[in-house]
Amino acid sequence: MSDSQWPRYQVFEQRREGAPHENAGSLHAPDNEIALQMARDIFVRRPTCIDLWVAPAAMIFARSAEQLADPAWREGAPQDSTPGAYRVFAKTRHAGTHQFLGTVEAEGTLSALEQALETFSDTAALVWWIVPDSAFTETDPDDAESLFAPANDKVYRDQADYHTVSLMRNIRHAQAERSSEE
Amino acid sequence: MNPEIKAALRGKLLAMADDDLLLGHRNSEWTGHAPILEEDIAFANIALDEIGHAKLWYEILADLEGEDRETYPDRLVFHRLTSAWRSAQITELDKGDFAFTIVRQYLCDTAELARLEGLRTSSYTPVAEVANKIIAEEHYHHRHTRAWVRRLGLGTEESHERMERALHNLWPFTAQLFAPVPDEALLVEAGIVPDPQAVKEAWEGPVRAWLAECNLPAPEGLPPVNIGREIHTEHLVTLLGEMQSVARLVPEGVW
Repeated sequence: MSDSQWPRYQVFEQRREGAPHENAGSLHAPDNEIALQMARDIFVRRPTCIDLWVAPAAMIFARSAEQLADPAWREGAPQDSTPGAYRVFAKTRHAGTHQFLGTVEAEGTLSALEQALETFSDTAALVWWIVPDSAFTETDPDDAESLFAPANDKVYRDQADYHTVSLMRNIRHAQAERSSEE
Repeated sequence: MNPEIKAALRGKLLAMADDDLLLGHRNSEWTGHAPILEEDIAFANIALDEIGHAKLWYEILADLEGEDRETYPDRLVFHRLTSAWRSAQITELDKGDFAFTIVRQYLCDTAELARLEGLRTSSYTPVAEVANKIIAEEHYHHRHTRAWVRRLGLGTEESHERMERALHNLWPFTAQLFAPVPDEALLVEAGIVPDPQAVKEAWEGPVRAWLAECNLPAPEGLPPVNIGREIHTEHLVTLLGEMQSVARLVPEGVW
């Protein structure tokens, strides 16, 4: 039932110091605090995360390059005027995820995107996301250890620990050899 | 190590390990059955953590007994008779509804955190090392369960009623979590474990305050479960019957 469904949140994870936060996926949660808590369970069980952000999906204003190519793209965009900071994310590859580019100060959602297009003009984004700063709930640095440190020695949770890529390559080689022998 | 202290430490390690193991096992029963997918994953995670903590305590016990730390934990878990378990009864009870599970995990998390704070400075180095290792995960469990206690306590009429009933049923069992194991006073004197009475005092204030804030005041006037850890509920018998069934069928099985 869509009525009883909890709101959807987008989750952004930072994998190492200095790297941009990127979209890890989405989840349903009753509120921001639980969303952040669940994000840890669902997306950072593996030892690859140092910081998490969550934001309600409903707070994200998205525009694709295709939509922006239409001169009338501003029509139908939210005409709100909530001055403040907006975080800008861009997806640059079809198989990629949204990456955090930076923050712009703007009068509202629409002008935030206009500024983002100018500020990050060298980014060939397929899809832009504009999210008000106030929509985010983030990891408290004091909690970072209890959230992320336990995963560090759990290498068995990381798919890289299983060498499946080389294993599959060997299997494919063996299969190819067998079929060429036949 | 003096043999009396060693015997007491053996009892304490077994109590802590058995509590974590059974709590983890009960939580694992929610896998695939939790109210929503996200909570399913969270509880599977908490279950794995608790079983992992049990393994660390069993391994220290293996070292103490001169047993093999690879095989000893499995022997204790899969081949031990009910009467040889030293679990607190609160960890044995059936998983109940989600409210019961949340309240139990909250009470046990907070009790364990209070104890771990004292164990971090244990004069027995292996215990201090494990305590320092697992306390981060317990903090995280605590944050998870306290958040749910609040939401369900202050939620709908039904959620509040279920939480109240769970707390009423579980509260008397908490006494056993702080009852000393045989000769625990020797361990306290040797600086190996914190004084259980001090642990109980550190636990009770903040827990009562949080429960009250969540409109779930701690029940008054219920007689505490004041029995030794050698006495078990029928729930443990059923749990072990199922958990140990494969090991009984194929005692030396390897796969």
